[in-house]
Amino acid sequence: MRRNVAIIGCGQTKHSSKRRDVNLAEMVSEAVYNALEDAQVSPRDVDAFVVGNMQGFGGIAQPEQWLGDSIGAPGKSVIRIATGGTTGGSVGQGAYYTVASGLHDVAVAVAWEKHSDSKEAGATTGLLHVGLGNFFHAASYGLSLKNLVATSAVGAAAGVAVYQAMFYMYRSGCSIEHFDMVAAKARRNAAKNKYAHLQWPGCTQEDIAKTEMVVYPFRYGHICPASDGASAIVVAEENLARKKARQPAWFKGLAAYSDEENQLQSENFGGVGVLDPSEQKGCWMSATKAYEMAGIKDPKKEIDIAEVYQPFPSQELIFAERLGLFDEGTAWMALEKGETDIDGRMPLDPSGGVNATNAIGSTALQRILECALQIMGKAEEHQVPRKVHNAVAHGWGGVTSYITVTVLGDSPGR
Amino acid sequence: MGYVKEERPMTIGVEGTWNIGSYHYKGSRLIEEYVKGLKQKKLIGSFCPGCGKVIVPPRNLCGRCHRIMDRRKIVSNMGTITCFIVSPPIEKGKLKVLGMDPVETGLIKEGEVVIPVFVKFDGSDSNTDTILLNADPKAVHIGMRVKVLWVKEPQGALSDFEGVEPV
Ligand SMILES: [Zn+2]
Repeated sequence: MRRNVAIIGCGQTKHSSKRRDVNLAEMVSEAVYNALEDAQVSPRDVDAFVVGNMQGFGGIAQPEQWLGDSIGAPGKSVIRIATGGTTGGSVGQGAYYTVASGLHDVAVAVAWEKHSDSKEAGATTGLLHVGLGNFFHAASYGLSLKNLVATSAVGAAAGVAVYQAMFYMYRSGCSIEHFDMVAAKARRNAAKNKYAHLQWPGCTQEDIAKTEMVVYPFRYGHICPASDGASAIVVAEENLARKKARQPAWFKGLAAYSDEENQLQSENFGGVGVLDPSEQKGCWMSATKAYEMAGIKDPKKEIDIAEVYQPFPSQELIFAERLGLFDEGTAWMALEKGETDIDGRMPLDPSGGVNATNAIGSTALQRILECALQIMGKAEEHQVPRKVHNAVAHGWGGVTSYITVTVLGDSPGR
Repeated sequence: MGYVKEERPMTIGVEGTWNIGSYHYKGSRLIEEYVKGLKQKKLIGSFCPGCGKVIVPPRNLCGRCHRIMDRRKIVSNMGTITCFIVSPPIEKGKLKVLGMDPVETGLIKEGEVVIPVFVKFDGSDSNTDTILLNADPKAVHIGMRVKVLWVKEPQGALSDFEGVEPV
């Protein structure tokens, strides 16, 4: 029998492209201690840590062995989780399992990235899954260098998401101007979030449209930054949660589904069987399962805000639909009407989201953390102007196929 | 935590390289079959006995029904663009691939616009990623009909398949 579990404290670091004032261990502990302080929990009361960042990023293979001392982990249970871009989402869900299972009463989930420590962001070991062996194997069969330049340099400059965006534009009828709108909104919202990276008060669609085209349909202004930063949440069982927090953010439902690899090449240079990479079946499956667990029948009506994983603006639209918040192909129309603004009917990424702040390993945990802040009423300047009963947090990564969906609420729901 | 930060207020840069050396990989024979097909200007796909999908280039397992795709099917050299992206004109000093500048090495002409595309070849159920050549970037669209552009004398290499061009 699973126990009710809630988030009772949140902590973040300021995000920027270079946190030279701290090393990795100092940066991560900053987030942990901020979260413990927010929860009014002493480091002694923590039973378990669930930690994570992108595999190999910053040039460090086993960061948990370095930073363990700094966060007070010795003598405690420690698990590190790395699931690509979804890492933070899996770390947050891992802390839930730790407490819901009855194994521990208080767990801290902490996730981070410190890109700037390594000149090369870690892509050699971190981003290439089967890719490295695959690449050299294909190279031994005379891989065309021009093709390689096109797919790995031109395409990857804007990430695998650029193809997704093109598919979505085609089937939904939205245009590049809608991507400008999402990016401008992300920077405006980020300006209200003191921890965010790319802050631009009053940023307009026109401001973004003036930025250089990286690869059509993505402009420079559409693309997320690489941020240094960390985020942490304190997760507790029901009795302690009720004692410590005036308004805990309860875990109501969660799920994580994957789909087959749906972009570029599969293993051994093979083709891929997903004809539309913006289909994102894993997200739809995760959302369906998480809502079912949360007792949410109509997410359009019952979800008050969403933190969507959107390093690229097209993804806010694609995934908001997959999360059941808008009908197929209509999220851009809601955007046009201002429904997704901070004060709109369905605010998307009131924090500015990944598009404004991207410490990769941390970003999906930040989505959960931001939903918790909105429920707890602690989002300060970017708090949405109405009571948040239910919020949904999303994570995307692992090339294109791993998804986490977490539903939080102002009551445990059972 | 304050005391450590005060002692060392900034990180310092340390120069170094990280050589990952050689690599062991269980390469599949499928790619060998595929390039043998290319030598004869044939596109080979694998057929899934579970869902009937044909995937080009061939793969071992069907991603959705997890069946072994042990049958082969030759698909058409003609296909349809399902997705494209367009680079800005590429100039010297703008791109680096494997440490080299593709304009400097002559892979891409100064000012060339590169158009990576996904193509669904007739008779297949997959996207094959390649590049669109000999095309006006303004005319490219989803649904555009294309055919394989072969090198003059195919060698049985992946590069035999230069890209696709408009029909
Ligand atoms: Zn199948």
